[in-house]
Amino acid sequence: MILRRILIANRGEIAVRIMRTCERLGIETVLAASDADLESVAARRADHVIRLGPSPASASYLNVPAVIAAARAAAVDALHPGYGFLSENADLAHACAAAGIVFIGPTPPQLAAVGDKLRARAYAVAAALPVLPGGDVSSLDAAAVLAAHVGYPVLIKAVGGGGGRGMRQVGSPEGLSEALDLAIAEAAAAFGDPRVYLERYVASGRHIEVQILGDGQAVVHLGTRDCSIQRRYQKLIEEAPAPKLPRAVREHMQDAAASFGRHLAYRGLGTVEFLYDCLREEFYFLEMNARIQVEHPVTEGICGLDLVECQIRVAEGRPLGFTQRDVRFDGHAIECRINAEDWVRDFRPSPGRVTRAIFAVGEGIRVDTHIEPGAEVPPYYDSLMAKVIAHGRDRTQALERLSGALARCEIEGVSSTLSLQEALVGSPGFAAGGVTTDYFRRFLEDRPAAEHIG
Amino acid sequence: MANLQLIDVSIRDGNQSLWGAVGLDTPQILSVAPLLDRVGFRALDYTSSTHMGIAVRHHAENPWERIRLTRDAMPNTPLQFIGTGLRFISWELASPEFMQLVYDRLVANGISRFVVLEPMHDIDAFLESARMIRRAGAGEIIAALTFTLSAIHDDEFYAALAGRLSQSPNIDRLYIKDPSGLLTCERARGLIPAIRARIGGMALELHSHCTIGLSSQSYVVAADLGVSVLQTALGPLANGGSLPDAERVVANLRELGHSVDVDDRLLAACARYFARLARAENLPFGTPQDFDAAYLRHQLAGGVLTTTRRQLAEIGLEHRFGDLMREVVQVRAELGYPIMVTPFPQMVVSQALFNLLGTERYANVSDQIIRYALGKFGRPSAPIESTVLERILGRGRADEIGREPGPPDLAQQRRQFPAGISDEEFLLRATMPAQQVDAMVAKGPACRRYNPATRPILKLLGALRGQPQVGDLVVEKPGFRLAMRRQGHG
Repeated sequence: MILRRILIANRGEIAVRIMRTCERLGIETVLAASDADLESVAARRADHVIRLGPSPASASYLNVPAVIAAARAAAVDALHPGYGFLSENADLAHACAAAGIVFIGPTPPQLAAVGDKLRARAYAVAAALPVLPGGDVSSLDAAAVLAAHVGYPVLIKAVGGGGGRGMRQVGSPEGLSEALDLAIAEAAAAFGDPRVYLERYVASGRHIEVQILGDGQAVVHLGTRDCSIQRRYQKLIEEAPAPKLPRAVREHMQDAAASFGRHLAYRGLGTVEFLYDCLREEFYFLEMNARIQVEHPVTEGICGLDLVECQIRVAEGRPLGFTQRDVRFDGHAIECRINAEDWVRDFRPSPGRVTRAIFAVGEGIRVDTHIEPGAEVPPYYDSLMAKVIAHGRDRTQALERLSGALARCEIEGVSSTLSLQEALVGSPGFAAGGVTTDYFRRFLEDRPAAEHIG
Repeated sequence: MANLQLIDVSIRDGNQSLWGAVGLDTPQILSVAPLLDRVGFRALDYTSSTHMGIAVRHHAENPWERIRLTRDAMPNTPLQFIGTGLRFISWELASPEFMQLVYDRLVANGISRFVVLEPMHDIDAFLESARMIRRAGAGEIIAALTFTLSAIHDDEFYAALAGRLSQSPNIDRLYIKDPSGLLTCERARGLIPAIRARIGGMALELHSHCTIGLSSQSYVVAADLGVSVLQTALGPLANGGSLPDAERVVANLRELGHSVDVDDRLLAACARYFARLARAENLPFGTPQDFDAAYLRHQLAGGVLTTTRRQLAEIGLEHRFGDLMREVVQVRAELGYPIMVTPFPQMVVSQALFNLLGTERYANVSDQIIRYALGKFGRPSAPIESTVLERILGRGRADEIGREPGPPDLAQQRRQFPAGISDEEFLLRATMPAQQVDAMVAKGPACRRYNPATRPILKLLGALRGQPQVGDLVVEKPGFRLAMRRQGHG
């Protein structure tokens, strides 16, 4: 099968990113845009634009019937969902199949399998992956028994989704009841699914994930990424490969991720997330993301593949065309997310019109963005404006290039996290590598509020 | 009305006919490969032993790697290799075992369609090559009916040859290969039905160069006569000494009621890419050609003619050009009408020059002509005129050449090179100077991306880098100012 016209059911930098590959492959692009995005850079770059609906995401980018109607009207062969929004929505994948449109992603059963965190956990167990002690929580009594067995502190998580919502840390039996109620209420509100589960809380952990790619039969891994620099479970900096990881742990983790993919006969791009317990030198399966990730460029940087092209090829029904042995890793890559946020005011979103936007160019530097002078950052969606990615022969060179690149970037008109990223990248802890997920909180605490950077 | 398919020759024959085969490197090919792949071409005329040699010699690029990467970048479109008989890269004859290895490795690296070409039309040589290529596992083998004008190359000659080739289980289809662009509409109306009548439904393709402006019309006629595939080129790589322009051919075919199932948007995008590349690299654009009646007589392609005129001028004999052309026509007839494709035009012209300048015709004869007369290039289509044959072979040099050893055997050749190298590297080392292959190996993996838009700026920056005396540079236009200053200047 040859895909000739693709609907991009997304916005912002990932829409532009997908277009770049489509242009190179000679595939026509149709951007499905909400009212707020009809004049965006992505809309101007697309071959065609189709209006998806009103600006709020619920009426446009999250509206399955609207997306399907747009795909039908645009007479596309396939739909690329990007990340976020409906990218892991099995209903959309089903509706595409019913409309004879190729969904560029995993099969609906695979989406369903990994979308439900408890089911994903069961699959991981079946594929012999280490999981954190814990499990299903059906009542307060059951939770108390399980928590006592696992040992405090524990973490309560939503079955229906991630991103920190519906997540509660519990330090002792006294706090369990209230935390459980809050988590259930939050999960129900955020995902329409009140189910929660409970796992042991790891105090000193690193968030390390493995990129996998499958064609429905063969599955390969494309190495590790370290995404431990997070604020409230939102990633700020990602790098590949994960630094300072014992070789045996890295190999075990990569093999485990690939074997999880093989267990699902996985098709498409996926990310298997692990929590790495630095003290025990052990890792645990957290969840799997069945889509392209924001941080995919660092993997592209070290393995030389175009992951959007890989997605399209697999969606066209082609075999991978290479084996694990053919995957070669070269150097190190680090990505910084530049968000439209006023980080000194508790990361308050800063929508508005960008008046000045200068991004660095240079050897090993890549910037994925949808921002240029005059561009609007609408208030309706996430605040990601750009990703500055540096690749070097090793981590030291990548870090040097990244610092230099960040110093050359300028954004005016909206507040941005540019200066924060410069400080973070220059911090001794990050420079040393291998920090845990509480690093960013400590980094902020160590900086007196008065000492505003930038 | 028929449904026609296209084969694109831009990368191989277009590049060879207009850009001396040196015009495209690996990143330039890889950058357009995904686009070409989605157009809907039946196949791509992709490489030849000449192109593979040039990849090493001119670009220090590994031609095998280029094939693999292109194969990977275009999974939908078969890639074609064109070779002539028992030769690979070098002019020396190779052993059948050596050629078998060449074909095996070509298939393993991603070539699936092969042209079997024998300018001498020696049927046994044809069939032997086809057998080897089939053994290598080729998907499609197409035999070339190389078209020329001569007393013997009439419709019956081609029909009989086509009939015999079509009997072979190792030949899947045939094409009229008209390297000099001599096929007129009138001739096509006789030739194509004559061939089709003898090949029992086997597919027939047409490949006719634009050299004297005949092919754009003969293509349309061929479509009416049952040719199912037309070979074309894109943008600047069409016209001139190359093949007809794909976009024009498609438009003409559709105008006359035929259908062509290609993606027009991508066809235009590919043509645009080559045009941008040509401008960025200062490569010439093929232009439509005028009819040239004299060409039908001497059949010397533009390049050979220009060289011949220059050589005559250098020895002060420019005024003898007409005499030389008459001699060319006569020598070709005496030699049994070799088809005027490399290396034969060069051989015929130099013999004609010897004859013109010498005291006696055939007093002076090149080694190549002796090898030709000895049958080392295969059996001529018509016998060499007997008195001429005697003159050529009746000299001591002919005996020496006759005693030249045949090609070395494969095992013996392998022993000359380190045991650890791949078959692919061995095949290059056995046919090319070590220094060139070493340079290729030293250069490492090929670059994969090329952007014509950045070339002028990169060239400018490169030139500035080479100008140490320039210490201060300012470029100003409304709303823009670029200033560069050498470090250390106040």
